[in-house]
Amino acid sequence: MSFLHRQTLSEFVLVCSSLLMVSAALADYDEPREWLNRMGAAVQSTSYEGTVIRIRGSEAEALKVVHQVVDGVIREKVVSQEGNGLEIIRNGSEVHCILPDRKSVLVEEWDDQSTLFSTLPSSEIRFGNEYDVSIVREDRVAGRQTKLLAIRPHDSYRYGYRIWLDTATGFPLQTELIGDDGSAIEQVMFAEISLNKDIHASALAPSYSTENYQWFNQSARHVTRSVDTDWVCEDMPRGFKVIATHEEKMPGSEAFVTHILYSDGLANVSVFIAQMGEGSSQGPSSVSGSNSFSAVVGDHHVTAVGEVPAITVEQIATSMRAR
Amino acid sequence: MNDAIRMQISAFVDGELPDNEADLLLRRMGQDAELRHKVAEYLAIGRALRGEISLPGVDRIHERVAAAIDDKPFTEEIEISGTAPTKSIRPLAGAAIAATVALVAIFGLQQTMNVDATDPAVANQAAVEIDSSYTVPRPIDDQLRQYYLSHGATATENGANGINSRFVTLRLSEEAFEQSAEDEDTSPAVEADGLPVQP
Repeated sequence: MSFLHRQTLSEFVLVCSSLLMVSAALADYDEPREWLNRMGAAVQSTSYEGTVIRIRGSEAEALKVVHQVVDGVIREKVVSQEGNGLEIIRNGSEVHCILPDRKSVLVEEWDDQSTLFSTLPSSEIRFGNEYDVSIVREDRVAGRQTKLLAIRPHDSYRYGYRIWLDTATGFPLQTELIGDDGSAIEQVMFAEISLNKDIHASALAPSYSTENYQWFNQSARHVTRSVDTDWVCEDMPRGFKVIATHEEKMPGSEAFVTHILYSDGLANVSVFIAQMGEGSSQGPSSVSGSNSFSAVVGDHHVTAVGEVPAITVEQIATSMRAR
Repeated sequence: MNDAIRMQISAFVDGELPDNEADLLLRRMGQDAELRHKVAEYLAIGRALRGEISLPGVDRIHERVAAAIDDKPFTEEIEISGTAPTKSIRPLAGAAIAATVALVAIFGLQQTMNVDATDPAVANQAAVEIDSSYTVPRPIDDQLRQYYLSHGATATENGANGINSRFVTLRLSEEAFEQSAEDEDTSPAVEADGLPVQP
């Protein structure tokens, strides 16, 4: 083989290798779970400015949001568009909630990564086999090209999700929580957004001088300690596993409550087990997309709480038993 | 508001508005409170016609937050330093009042709506009867509220945060505030650790 032929062959192999690498990378991006990884990273690292609309039941609300991430530190300003002028100013974990008409500021510590969008569960526990994740179609949201991801549960023990991810960045521009009848329980969407633009410090500053405001801080968090427990769920919906178990003192109480956290890799359910006391109520309750169910098991009051349908928390709460 | 906009809203809440028009309507919603109210009305009408129960309105949550701040006595003041100039900060009394109540107020205000009673569709709403077999969920008591909050915090700490957990926490804080405001009317204020608050 001549030198020229060897060189041509080498170049051919090099080109083929490059094409294969590019194809592999593109193939990864076609994988719906890879898109979810991108979303998780984008939520934690993307700076943005825009208007968010949230629709749930008969509510339709708007917020102006400026969100900046520099060296992993979040700075954020959220302003209500509902007329009361409320502002949330976040700098790292410290959050100032400003009520201008009352000249007051509430101070709180937040330790998660985003105000408006929680990240997905960490990759170690994300997804069992209880969901199908697929890219449904391409779409446009807030004037940007998106991929619509659908997360469909295999049974009615958990909710589904539709997430519109910005094609260029993986940022979620719209999310929907889907009930078992296929209807949207809650929608959060950007009406307009600028991604990764330079955000001036003034855009993150309070709109009001808080010089003469009254300042207040929140009450202390619960006291917790890790424990082993004899309690198990005898009829757990498929796929849920124990993530953590600890005992916890609720504010205003000296008694410890056993708290077991279960996850199916996407949805979470907590079970709280307390000694029966006066006023321990029973039955179902709900807040936003979360449900709870309380039941008496022996001389204990058992409550299951989670972002799952009512049937799920009822089944879990009523089938908890001490071994 | 003209008929064309009303038809657009109607199509939007039914999920039948073309994408480009929905985009435009959403942008307008971001700027126009009246438009958001109207969308909320249509959503409420839809729920009523489908026989879904509408929760009693949450009246002026923001004002209640403010009223609580005005009325609460405090025992101590602490100094914190942070990004803002050092301020004299007071602990909020009550079982679970947190800064998040204010953000809840943002999300909660629209729950009480001024539905246009002259709208025929709204008039029909009155004729929708509540299904008597419906199990009315129990109200959120203080213990249950603490469980919801602990669930959200613990899930996040363990890397198991769900997509919508933030909103759940916020909604609960709103409930916590309401309960606290009621407590204030009927009993002496207590701190989170159960100690009485000095007037």
